[in-house]
Amino acid sequence: MSESLEIKDLHVKVEGKEILKGLNIKIKQGEIHAIMGPNGSGKSTLANTLMGHPIYDVERGQILLNKEDVLQYKANERAKKGLFLAFQYPTAVPGVTMFNFLRTAYNAVKVNGHAKDKKQELTSVLQFSKLLNEKLKMLKMDESFVKRYVNDGFSGGEKKRSEILQMALLEPKFAVLDETDSGLDVDALRIVSEGINKLSGPNLGVLIITHYQRILRYIKPDHVHVMIDGKIVKSGGHDLAEKLEEEGYDWIIKEIKNE
Amino acid sequence: MNKNQQGILQINADYATKYGFNVPENYVFKSRKGLSREIVEKISEMKNEPKWMTDFRLRSLDIFMKKSMPKWGANLDTINFDDIYYYLKPTEEKAKSWEDLPEEIKNTFDRLGIPEAERKFLGGVGAQYESENLYHSIREDLAKKGVIFLGMDDGLKEYPEIVKKYFGTIVPPEDNKFAALNSAVWSGGSFVLVPKGVKVDVPLQAYFRINAANMGQFERTLIIAEENSFVHYTEGCFTKGTPIKTISGLKNIEDIKEGDIVLTHTNSYKKVYKIQKRKHDGVMCTINYFGDTRHEIKITGDHPILSVRRTKTEYKNNEWETEWVESKNLEKGDYVAIPIDRTIISQDGRFFSVKLSRGRHTPKVIEFKIDTDKDFFRLVGYYMAEGSIIKENYLTFTFNKNEKAFIEDVKELLEKFFGKAPLENEEYKNGISLVLCSTLAARLFKQEFGSGAKNKSLPKWFMLEAPEKQVEFIKAYWRGDGSFINKKYSWGKKRMFRINTISEVLAEQTRDLLLRLNIFASINVWNKKEPRSNSFAIYIGGSHLHNFADIVSHNINGSANNAGKLLLKQELMSYTQITDKYAFVPIKDIKREIVKNVEVYNFSVEDDESYIAHGIAVHNCTAPVYTTDSLHSAVVEIIALPGSRVRYTTIQNWSPNVYNLVTKRAYAYENATVEWVDCNIGSKITSKYPSVFLVGKGAKGEILSIAFAGKGQHQDAGGKAVHLAPNTQSTITSKSISKDGGRTTYRGLLKVYPGCKNVKSNVRCDALILDDKSASDTIPYMEINEKDVSIGHEASVGKISDEQLFYLMSRGLNEAEAMAMIVRGFIEPISKELPMEFALELNRLIELEMEGSVG
Repeated sequence: MSESLEIKDLHVKVEGKEILKGLNIKIKQGEIHAIMGPNGSGKSTLANTLMGHPIYDVERGQILLNKEDVLQYKANERAKKGLFLAFQYPTAVPGVTMFNFLRTAYNAVKVNGHAKDKKQELTSVLQFSKLLNEKLKMLKMDESFVKRYVNDGFSGGEKKRSEILQMALLEPKFAVLDETDSGLDVDALRIVSEGINKLSGPNLGVLIITHYQRILRYIKPDHVHVMIDGKIVKSGGHDLAEKLEEEGYDWIIKEIKNE
Repeated sequence: MNKNQQGILQINADYATKYGFNVPENYVFKSRKGLSREIVEKISEMKNEPKWMTDFRLRSLDIFMKKSMPKWGANLDTINFDDIYYYLKPTEEKAKSWEDLPEEIKNTFDRLGIPEAERKFLGGVGAQYESENLYHSIREDLAKKGVIFLGMDDGLKEYPEIVKKYFGTIVPPEDNKFAALNSAVWSGGSFVLVPKGVKVDVPLQAYFRINAANMGQFERTLIIAEENSFVHYTEGCFTKGTPIKTISGLKNIEDIKEGDIVLTHTNSYKKVYKIQKRKHDGVMCTINYFGDTRHEIKITGDHPILSVRRTKTEYKNNEWETEWVESKNLEKGDYVAIPIDRTIISQDGRFFSVKLSRGRHTPKVIEFKIDTDKDFFRLVGYYMAEGSIIKENYLTFTFNKNEKAFIEDVKELLEKFFGKAPLENEEYKNGISLVLCSTLAARLFKQEFGSGAKNKSLPKWFMLEAPEKQVEFIKAYWRGDGSFINKKYSWGKKRMFRINTISEVLAEQTRDLLLRLNIFASINVWNKKEPRSNSFAIYIGGSHLHNFADIVSHNINGSANNAGKLLLKQELMSYTQITDKYAFVPIKDIKREIVKNVEVYNFSVEDDESYIAHGIAVHNCTAPVYTTDSLHSAVVEIIALPGSRVRYTTIQNWSPNVYNLVTKRAYAYENATVEWVDCNIGSKITSKYPSVFLVGKGAKGEILSIAFAGKGQHQDAGGKAVHLAPNTQSTITSKSISKDGGRTTYRGLLKVYPGCKNVKSNVRCDALILDDKSASDTIPYMEINEKDVSIGHEASVGKISDEQLFYLMSRGLNEAEAMAMIVRGFIEPISKELPMEFALELNRLIELEMEGSVG
């Protein structure tokens, strides 16, 4: 049975200022949604709030993952329930190798978390290496990548690929991609997009958060939402994204004012 | 009993309740408390020292008495020099071989894993217990090359001229009050001499341990590296309680650190709990948990247990956040934690020292190398199930005639490892026995794996090997001693795997190996009347059935067509949970009663065997700790002659009542290199600044220092580089972490004398402060009296950022795990320089510090 991620009437404050003002959206596994919006519309606030960043205060509303409100849980528990955030700016953790980090995350999320498979995975170093190498290949990444320190000295493209690599390993039910296309050149964007496309399927719901339409040339969303001033103001199909690309956000802002 | 003796006993009784394992004191000689001329003379007399040393000691004593306490650094006002025993002599004679050591001392060091360490690729091992070196050994080939590795006292006896030439020249007694103290009362330590051009490619290792209360340990180490030689000397320093986990890798360290009683129980440590008696008034809890029918845990009500509270009334929790809960507050259904040691130390080959001859004074010892590969692990599995040793000369396996495949497998394995085919004999009742006539094989197996079904057990290295190899052991062991049970009951079907043994240790170890493979096994005991032995059954069922079936290649679903992964409905319901660190099992039953004046942990001898309450993680942090202090004040002198290289690695985890005031200094002559790697965890106050005096052209010095200060601790550490010659280089890297109100100070000196041109130096000190209660200072002195130099200095003080924490937590790590990961990364530049086992030890100690706070 396909599960859903439902955001209901979400109001969020950051340092006293209200950023999200009653946001609603529902995503099912197997669907790809895109939220587009101009700067300052609250896109990153949404992404971080979904994952449970402590500086965002949820004033009102619910985030229902398969009908359970996950607001009560910390980030690590949300991850175990199958939620994933690909960060816009992944943080460096010097001295910790990607391998070590990925294995720890894999054990936390897959072995002890949401993994449906009743058979508990054996995660010896060898077995994990094998699995990891498959994923690296898929994302056209070199094996030596995992010897580097987490996001330490990574280029923009490497950071984003690393986020998708983590997504591939942790196999979430719902993935939120926060500005994954920013800072990528065309080749990197293509590889990252291909990776996302390979991962999408009936068991994954994707929420792409983006300013530009660029990434949507490679990943075709089923639903496109426009977010302005902390709310979804318009929803539609892929054509909506194209119109935004051509005409910008002004026409929507006018439309709202006229209403 | 005179008053003085009573006093000593008093302290000892007191001490035992506060710490986990300290061994009853049984000393040949124990000095009075306090320091005087008579005591110094007595020490020198007992050691039979030459007059110059006696004079040196007395002169040092005068200096000590005259010198004031250091006016800088950590606050040492609380040291009471009159309340310390300056000399304890544990045995009359020094041991020639490990076996000759007194049982108590051997046990203590066994717990530290030292004999094991020796069997590995170490060049030599020294062990110090209280004041005296008890044991020093060095690999034969190194001894042949002229490498000397002795206790300092023996060094003085055997090489008086060399010692006289160098002793006290690098760190003279005038240097500081504690160097003077050490010079007056020193005892033990190591004497190392590496001759010209000799490279010692394996570390020489020393262990130190303080057992008695109010004890001062004043070891003295002198290392001389002659021209173009190389040596790596490592030392591990521990106080009681801390390192039990290294015994067999069975148990979790945090509990042991506080010297907890329950967890330290396994068959091999009977002595530990015999001495741990105390009177208790208040709540006593009796706990039974699922998965182990052997014993109930009796524990005082205020004793915290690592637990997960039940959040769901049925089935099992979703969340596995652990907390420390006082046992009286636990409820039926809450989970207790069985620690899983996932350390992996895998080696393709290992050397084993096997004693061959019997009954002679100097037994012949053979170093025998075994490829410790999957095949060997399988052979051990067969041995555990079907093997025995006859007359120490024959390694024998007994099978049923029908077990042809296994018989062939064992034959091939024996041939592979011992180059010899076994004899095959027909036995009574369709038995076949394979007999390998090899004293070497027989003794090797007896030594490593025990002989006699009741005494078989696995050594520590085996427990820490790669899980891929351990799978092979399980496979073979199950083939021999296991079965698959498939029974129909009125309520349904029950299927499970079973292995039977009469060795309780082996049952336990098999359970632990399976936990490393993420398989939970329960242990059931059948108590039998003497003379029959109790029997232990290891059961694997429920959701773990398939994983185990995969390992032993057993089709559990009957026909081959139906070999799919079918689990019966009730088998999907597993009441246990395995995480990276623990297996959680629910409490079956908990009883509380108010008791008065009950002796806690008072086992009768028979109960001794059965009362093994270990298995679950228990903490003892709330007990009032440490009213008495111990003093560790060592001096280390290194002379690195031209072209030589000396590396000195220390990892210390003193208990929080130890003042650790150590002077370490090296002279590096022309083109010589000296490296200090210094990791300080624990202690009450540490003052330690390893230093390098670069006295010859082109000499290099490197100092790496890690300090971790927890609650009530002050780590005042750093390093000194003094450039006395041109073209010399130095680097100092310091990483400090403070937590729970702990305080770290980086204190360093970089000094360049005039005329020392082209000196290069880089100093980097980073501090990480984990909470608002903790503090860190940086005091870098620089005296640069030459212009033509290149000096770099960087310092940083940081906190763990919310963004880092959030990032790691979004990948499933809980807060403590995320913090520990960041801290591990922080010290990585240094920990990567450590030998692997030290690095593992350091990581574990830090993890423990990170999650160990109670409350």
